[in-house]
Amino acid sequence: MIKNIIEVNKLERIYSNGIVKTYALKDVSLSIKPGEFVAIMGPSGSGKSTLLHQLGLLDTPTNGSIIIDNEDVSKLTDKQKTTFRLEKLGYVFQSYNLLPELNVIENVFLTSMAKGLDPKEYNLRAKDILEKVGLKDRLYYYPSELSGGQQQRVSIARALVNKPKILFADEPTANLDSDSSQDIIDLFKKLNKEINQTIVMVTHELEEGKKADRIIWIKDGILDKSVKV
Amino acid sequence: MNKKDIKLMFFLAYKNIIKSKSTFIVIVAVMAMSFLSITFFSAIIDGLSYEFEESMIDGQTGHLMIEPSNEESFIFNSDRLEKNISKIPGVIGVSSRLESNILITYKNEELGAPVFFIDPIDEQKVSNFHESLIEGSFLSYKDTSEIIIGSDLLEQYAPIDDTKKRFNLRIGDNIILTFNNGYKKEYKIKGIFKTGSKFNDDKILINKEEYFSIFNKEDISHKILVKLPSRGLEKEYIQKIEALGIIEQINPWETKIGMIKQFVGSLQITNQITGFIGLLTAFATIYIIIFINVTNKRKQIGILKAIGIKKKIILGSYIIQSFIYGFVGVIFGNIIMQILLALLASYPLSMPIGDVVPLLTIGKLLTTSFILILASIVAGFFPSRKASNDNILDAIFGG
Repeated sequence: MIKNIIEVNKLERIYSNGIVKTYALKDVSLSIKPGEFVAIMGPSGSGKSTLLHQLGLLDTPTNGSIIIDNEDVSKLTDKQKTTFRLEKLGYVFQSYNLLPELNVIENVFLTSMAKGLDPKEYNLRAKDILEKVGLKDRLYYYPSELSGGQQQRVSIARALVNKPKILFADEPTANLDSDSSQDIIDLFKKLNKEINQTIVMVTHELEEGKKADRIIWIKDGILDKSVKV
Repeated sequence: MNKKDIKLMFFLAYKNIIKSKSTFIVIVAVMAMSFLSITFFSAIIDGLSYEFEESMIDGQTGHLMIEPSNEESFIFNSDRLEKNISKIPGVIGVSSRLESNILITYKNEELGAPVFFIDPIDEQKVSNFHESLIEGSFLSYKDTSEIIIGSDLLEQYAPIDDTKKRFNLRIGDNIILTFNNGYKKEYKIKGIFKTGSKFNDDKILINKEEYFSIFNKEDISHKILVKLPSRGLEKEYIQKIEALGIIEQINPWETKIGMIKQFVGSLQITNQITGFIGLLTAFATIYIIIFINVTNKRKQIGILKAIGIKKKIILGSYIIQSFIYGFVGVIFGNIIMQILLALLASYPLSMPIGDVVPLLTIGKLLTTSFILILASIVAGFFPSRKASNDNILDAIFGG
């Protein structure tokens, strides 16, 4: 039996504003297998992005546990979480979030540089992944010189350059036109098939969700259902 | 912190600066201007203080002033003492003076004035009266019926709106001087001097031989002025002169400038206060500019944290940037300051006291540079530490 790469147990995220408590996530338990492409869907404000942020160690849950790659990440210190993110996780944000002062290849190799790879290796890796996402002729462009779709491809390349265990994508097509959105989803699908990349993607587009292996539905912070596509 | 972390820190700092050239230029310009605003005013005050002191050294005191012992009114055997002192290696000049007050009479007008009885040749080695002649020529050793007069006693050189009583005298005019023993004699104006110092320009210079003749004395003086190669050597030469076995008082110039010392001291206190306020203002300005710059980078800091870049690397990269802003700003400030100093050395500021050249000591230059660089580092440290401690999602999405 294949072990789960993500195990979430009774996860809660409560936002407190004085005495008023708001449950963004309540009693969420789920598991994701290695190589699975999972879409998290739900209405606006349902808690899907909040769930992704907890899984991606960008936020700290109020209660519950998250086990990623056999490690209880809810017990990690901030410093350990930073290292964990660098070593094992990759992120694609809705608004790309590239660093404007770095060019394409620098944005991509930054995390490899942080891992201590030598310049030859991190340049090679970055070029290789940029070729895979179709941007080998844009290596020295700055983000401001690229279209939204191209920036999102750079963001995907940056997320994948360190060969992460899991790629998290938070509404990666929300700012893109339909053609670019299609390209990005197809790219995810291709990465999932070809390199068996585990992908957890938040989306509000059912058509995109249907490209995943499974859709996890969230409603009012509670896991509603998990449906195989 | 290992080598790869440091490399990444410098890489991020470098890219931030290179890609934000306008920010870099603005911050460096503010740093340079702050440096100038602090050092330039201070240099002018220091130059002014220096000029005040120099005018006293050049006109009144020399570097060392030998005066009669407490029990005596005169230095006796003055000639021999002068010769002995002038033989000490390094001594630039030695000259004795006698001082008195006289009554000047010209046509129907009378005016009292202080007079220096001088040796016309030796005097030129210790004072700057001969270099400050604006009309006529200096006394020669033969001139016993001629005088040199300070510009402050003459109408034509009076400042506008100054109502002090003065004479309308020209070169070649004759005046009668009445000495404090009642002796009167007519003298011709041979030269007019203007040193720029009020303390010097109200004097009349007469050949010392006249004093001996009028008061029937010889080989005495009230003061012997000693000119040294530069300031700062006074203690060393006092010891050398004392070794000659003299009983007279030997005083360095600092102890003889009385009111000027108080005035310069007050100027220096003002200088320190304005310098401190200038530093605070510069610090606040730099802090605000760098703070805004780092605060604008809050999202980038959040992204860096999200993708796994360590907090200390992010913080380090902003501290390096702040250091570079400070360092380059101070370097530019120094360059501009040195150009200004060179220009003002060639074209000094004309002030009522005379020409003033701003004076910037290495100590002040280094202190100001250090404090401004420190200010920029501190200004970079706190906002970047705050931003790097922020919740990642708040930093990225603006919570």
